[in-house]
Amino acid sequence: MTRRAPCVLLLLATAACGRGGGGSATDAITVALMPKNKGNPYFVSCRQGALEAAQELGVKLLWDGPTETDAARQNEVVEAWITRGVDAIAVSVENREGLSTVLRKARGRGIKVLTFDADALPDARDFFVNQATPRGIAETLLEHTSRILGGSGDFAIVTASLTAANQNEWIREIRELLQSKHQGLELVDIRPSDDDRKRAFDETQALLKAYPSVRVVMAIASPAVPGAAEAVKQSGRTDVKVTGLGLPNDARPYLKDGVLDSVVLWNTKDLGYLTLYAAQALKRGTLAPGATSFAAGRLGTLRVEGDNVLLGTPFTFTKHNVDRFDF
Amino acid sequence: MTDERRATRALIGLLALELVAFSFLGHNFLTLGNGFEVVRASVEIGLLALALTAVIATGGIDLSVGSLLGLCAVVFGWLARDAGVAVPLAALCAVLTGALGGLLNGWLVTSLRLPPLIVTLGTYSLFRGLAEAATGGVANYTGFPAGFLGLGQGTLAGGIPAQLPVLLAAFLFFWTLVHRSVAGRGLEAIGYAPEAARHAGIPVGARLRLVYLLAGIAAGIAALVYVARLGQAKADAGTGFELLAITAVVLGGTSIFGGRASVAGTLVGLFVLALLQNGLRLADQPAELAGILTGMLLLLALALSRERKAP
Repeated sequence: MTRRAPCVLLLLATAACGRGGGGSATDAITVALMPKNKGNPYFVSCRQGALEAAQELGVKLLWDGPTETDAARQNEVVEAWITRGVDAIAVSVENREGLSTVLRKARGRGIKVLTFDADALPDARDFFVNQATPRGIAETLLEHTSRILGGSGDFAIVTASLTAANQNEWIREIRELLQSKHQGLELVDIRPSDDDRKRAFDETQALLKAYPSVRVVMAIASPAVPGAAEAVKQSGRTDVKVTGLGLPNDARPYLKDGVLDSVVLWNTKDLGYLTLYAAQALKRGTLAPGATSFAAGRLGTLRVEGDNVLLGTPFTFTKHNVDRFDF
Repeated sequence: MTDERRATRALIGLLALELVAFSFLGHNFLTLGNGFEVVRASVEIGLLALALTAVIATGGIDLSVGSLLGLCAVVFGWLARDAGVAVPLAALCAVLTGALGGLLNGWLVTSLRLPPLIVTLGTYSLFRGLAEAATGGVANYTGFPAGFLGLGQGTLAGGIPAQLPVLLAAFLFFWTLVHRSVAGRGLEAIGYAPEAARHAGIPVGARLRLVYLLAGIAAGIAALVYVARLGQAKADAGTGFELLAITAVVLGGTSIFGGRASVAGTLVGLFVLALLQNGLRLADQPAELAGILTGMLLLLALALSRERKAP
């Protein structure tokens, strides 16, 4: 027993030594941010933005979460933050119902709770930092389509699954905009990809055969973008272009080939930056229910709609800027 | 016997050391509320670890319990939400699924005389694969009734987590089985020398089938607690739990070669692991560090158990 104690002390000392710095500023606000998955480059760039904002504001930033998407781990980390006592928690929620229970508990203890990227149930958080509204996404996607087609022509959509809630909301907005703003564009078909690249490839091939008039394929799920682009590329149809919503890394080769015109998403670094600003403002009371706008550092003054803080219009990746991003 | 006592005492010392260290390093670590949260988060792995103590006592191993937990969770979720089966019946079916999985492991180990490591490595993939195939890897069952969720999220009088009695009952059961029953004496004998146990008239096959069956049932019950705690059932439930459970067992002084088991040690081992994770978080350390320290602790425990064997 006495022989073993030194070894164990050593172990715990290793744990302790990483702790230096940071902890001394006791009056600073502590904001805890949790991604769905720490290793995902999407969230790595969110973290860069959050770190930048934390330095500007003098906020102590805790960043922790599952090393791979794991709902159970998210619950445990939030539980620990509640016990530890932090001023604000911001989470990208993997499991809406399960995590909402814990987030409500955090609010009950006087902790300010935000969600970013993926929302919890509305009563479980104060604000949702919304990276893009369905209307904003639909508008940007249609602007690209209209530009490629010169204002009139046929296009088709490759979606996630026919029941995917997000995608269906975007499609609803797209249909509305086709009526009100882009009357020259004709949506001829919507195909599912089930979030699978191979399926998107097959569906796009079938689509090109069934509708020779289609000049734009709009792929609105991230695996569907490379799938659709590969199908168009292999078809040899240089008169057909792909646009859509997806990740820059998936899109890069096809953007450079010219098969893919553009992909729309949001600037994830700005999302992290904004989330931290919103958390600090919420704690300080400068962002409160009923607010219609708030100042977020270098992002300027951003709109607040109800309990959603809006990042603004989506960001478009093209062959010219895609190399500046890695996720 | 004294060896086990000594191992357990060393482990309790370690636990005390964690308590002291983290009460300085962590924020609000040494509070009753935090203690209860640690317990709440440990019950599923605890159930698996208790059942694995009996398996490992026989010189066996069961790598499939985490995957089986996932399969049971999905079966429960599907029955309760989509198939419209009443929650108690769905829960029973989930535990039965676990029992069937355990029976399969036991049958493969005893009838085909395959090494448990290989058998359960196979069923490790099989059970997880079934859960993923059944849900396409995407279905996520949620929206369970509040009464059921209370099992995982609720509290009893005094803030005691609702699932604590489940863990205590399992502890009493396995403690009695391993340390106070004739069958339990047989388990350690099988682990120590299977052939000798057979000659001594111990029904080796039946005992082995029993411990794997119990591990399966434990996985089923753990699945229910897990689903109730998180409010969701998905095919990835319980990923990696088997390794944490085995770590708790070995830390607790049960010999990985079989023949020597300590059910109480397993429980202490479990809390050493759980407090390490919890304490690091409250000290603002990333959870990865827990992995490193857990690994070092386990190697240390193994080295010490070798040392005891050598002279």
